[in-house]
Amino acid sequence: MSSTTPDWTPLVDQNIGIVGRFFRGRIWYGAEWYITVFGASILVAVLLITLLAPIIAPHDPNAFVGAPFTAPGDGLQALLVRKGESPIQPGDDLAGDHLADRAIGAQRNKNGDAWTKEMGISRRRYNKQEEMIVALERGEVDIIFIAEELVDDALAANPWLEMVQQGIGRRYLLGTNNLGQDSTSRLIWGARTILLVAVMSAVFSSFVGIPLGLTSAFVGGKLDKVLSLVLDSIYSFPGLLLAVALAAMLGPSLINVTIAISVVYVPTFFRVVRGQVLSIKENTYIEAAHSLGARPHTILFRYVFPNVIPSVVVLFSLNIADAILTSAGLTFIGLGLPPDIPDWGCDLTKGHQYVVAGHWWMITFPGIMITLVAAGFSLLGEGLSEILNPRLVKS
Amino acid sequence: MSPGLRRYIVVRILSTIPMLLILVTLVFFILRVIPGDPALAVLREGASEEQLQSFRVATGLDQPLHIQYLKFISGVIRLDFGESMTRNVPVIDEIKTFFPATVELALAAMSVTATVGIFFGVYAAHHRKKFSDYSIRVSSIILYSVPIFWLGIMLQMVFGAQLGWLPVAGRLDAGNTPEATITGLYTIDAILTLDKDLFVDAVRHLVLPATTLGLVLAGIFIRLTRANMLDVLQQDFIVAGRARGLKERVLVYQHGLRNAFIPIVTLLGLQVALLLAGAILTETTFSWPGLGRLVVDRIYDRDFTTLQGTILFFALIVASVSLIVDVLYGFLDPRIRY
Repeated sequence: MSSTTPDWTPLVDQNIGIVGRFFRGRIWYGAEWYITVFGASILVAVLLITLLAPIIAPHDPNAFVGAPFTAPGDGLQALLVRKGESPIQPGDDLAGDHLADRAIGAQRNKNGDAWTKEMGISRRRYNKQEEMIVALERGEVDIIFIAEELVDDALAANPWLEMVQQGIGRRYLLGTNNLGQDSTSRLIWGARTILLVAVMSAVFSSFVGIPLGLTSAFVGGKLDKVLSLVLDSIYSFPGLLLAVALAAMLGPSLINVTIAISVVYVPTFFRVVRGQVLSIKENTYIEAAHSLGARPHTILFRYVFPNVIPSVVVLFSLNIADAILTSAGLTFIGLGLPPDIPDWGCDLTKGHQYVVAGHWWMITFPGIMITLVAAGFSLLGEGLSEILNPRLVKS
Repeated sequence: MSPGLRRYIVVRILSTIPMLLILVTLVFFILRVIPGDPALAVLREGASEEQLQSFRVATGLDQPLHIQYLKFISGVIRLDFGESMTRNVPVIDEIKTFFPATVELALAAMSVTATVGIFFGVYAAHHRKKFSDYSIRVSSIILYSVPIFWLGIMLQMVFGAQLGWLPVAGRLDAGNTPEATITGLYTIDAILTLDKDLFVDAVRHLVLPATTLGLVLAGIFIRLTRANMLDVLQQDFIVAGRARGLKERVLVYQHGLRNAFIPIVTLLGLQVALLLAGAILTETTFSWPGLGRLVVDRIYDRDFTTLQGTILFFALIVASVSLIVDVLYGFLDPRIRY
C-alpha cells in the first residue's frame, strides 16, 4: 500500500501560480467566492471606465453637442429634396463643397442644425418641421435636414419628397439630456465623480473612526464612556438627515459633500472597531504581552490592530456602497455637487422633471449605474466578510 | 410589571436624555453655521435694513449664540419647540400637520417590507445553500443598492406616466379633502367615517410611495429574517418535529417562523432610523407632505426653529421606538428578564 502513489492530488502543493490559486478559491469558499468575484468584476469594469474616461468618452460631458432630448440611438440625419431636383447625388461627400453654396434648411435646436453649425455650413433655420417642408415646397431652400427616424412619416405625408442621403452626423448611444449634453459621456465621467466622493468619504471616516475606536476600547474608562455616548447618538440618528444639515452648512462642492458624508459614517467604523478590540483584549496572548512588559502602543499596533483589519476591510467596502447612495440622495435633495461636475445623482434629479414628457433615458441609465456600483461594493463586502471571517458565519 | 423591568425602563429613558442633548446641540450649531440669513430668506431681497433688524429681534436672532442656545434648550425641556421663523405658527403645530403623512407612509411601507422580507427570508433560510437561497441573497443586496428615489421615479414613470394606473404625487386627488380628520391618516380616517371614495383615493396615492420605500428596506430585511430563521431551524425542537413526521411546510412556516418572529419584529423596529431616512427621499420624490418634505423645504428657507424642532422630533421617534421595542421584547420573550 505504501508504495503506491495517491490517486488524488493535493490542492495546496500544486504549483498552479497565483491565478490558478485565485480560481481554486471557488472550491474552498463556494458561493461566497462567486459573490465576491461578481462584485469585484463590476468594480473593475467601473474602475476601467473611470481611468479611461478621457479616451472612451465621445464628448465633453458639459458641452452642448446635439439637440436636447435626442432619444438613445437617434441623432443621425437624412437629407430630403424635391423629387427629381436633387442638387447632390447619393454618393457625394457632404464634408466637401457639395453643401457649401446650396440653400439648406434645418430645424432649430435639432441635430441637423447642430451638425451644420459645427461643419460651418450656412443654413436657414425653422422653428417647426412643417414650416421647413413648406419652405422646401416653395423653393426657398433646396435641401432640408430631418431626423432619420422621422423620414418615413415625412415621405408618407408628402409624396413629392425624396430622400437623397442618410446617416449624416452622429448617433447618441444613450441620447442627450435637456441641455443637449451627451448622456453617454456624462455617464462615463460621472463614474469618476461618484467613486471619488464615495471612496474619499470612506477613507475620511475610517481615518477618524478607526483610531477613535481603537483608543476608546483600549484605554477604556471615562474616555470610552464619553466617546461611545457621543458617537452612538450620531449613529442612532437618520444618517441622511445629518448629511443634509452638514451639506447645507458646508455649501456645494466636491470636498464638502465628501466631508458631510464621511461624518455620518464615523460612528459605524468606531462601533465595529471598538467592539472588536474589546473582545480581542480578552485574549490570553494580550495578557501574555502585558506580563512580558510590552508597551501599550506595541500591544495596540502589533497585537490588536492586525486582528481588526479583516472587519475593517469588509466595513470599508459596505461603507462605500452606502456612501454612494447617500451622495446620490444628497444631490437629489439639491444639496449635492455643483452642477458643472458630471454626476449620476445630478443627472437623475434633472431627469425627474422630464419623466412625464416621456424622456425615460435621462433617469434610467444613471440609476442603473448607481445601483450597479453600489451593489458591486456591497457584494464584494458581503463575500469578503464570509471569506475573511469564516468563524463569524453562523450558517 | 416587575421591579426589574421598571428599573430598566427608567434607566433607558434617563440614558436617552444625554443622547438627545448631544444631537440637539450638534444640530443647533450646525444650523447656525449654515450660510444664508433667515431674515433675508423670509423678507426677500430688497428689504430695508430696519425690516431685517426687526425680524431678527422678533425671532431672537440678534442675541448672542449661547443665549439663543440656552433659550432653545430651556424651551425643549418644557416641550416647547418655539415658533417657526418663516411661518407664524408654533413649530409643534407644523409637526402635527406633517407628521400623520409620514406615519401613514411609514406604516404602509413597513407592511410591504414585512411581507416581502419575511416571505423571501424564510424561503431562503428553508432552502439554504440551494440556488434559490443564493439568488435571493444576491437580489436582496441589489435591492438594497437601488437609490430609493430612482426606484420611485421609475415606478412613477411606468405606472403613472406610461400606464396611467396610479397617481404619482400627493396624498389625495386635487379637490378631494377629507371632511373630518380624526387620526390624520387618510386611509384610517376613511375607514372610521365609512367613506369609500376617500379610502380608494388615499390608497391609490399610497401604493407607489409605500412600495418604493418598502421594497428597498425589504432588501435588508430579507437578510435579517434569513439569519434569524437559520438560527431557529437549527434548534432541537425542529429536529424533534421532523422526527415526529411533521410536514416540512408546517414545521418551517408555523413552528419555525413563530419562534423567529420575536427577533424579526425587534429588528423591524430597529430599522426605524433607516425608514425615516428613506422616507425623506420618498417624500421628496412623490411630493408627499410629510416631515421629510418639511425638513427639505425649510432648509432652503433657513427656518432654523422649524428645522431644529423637526430634527429633534425625528430623534425622539427613533429613541422611543427602540425603547418600546426593547421593552416589548422583554414582555414577549419570557426568557429575557431585566
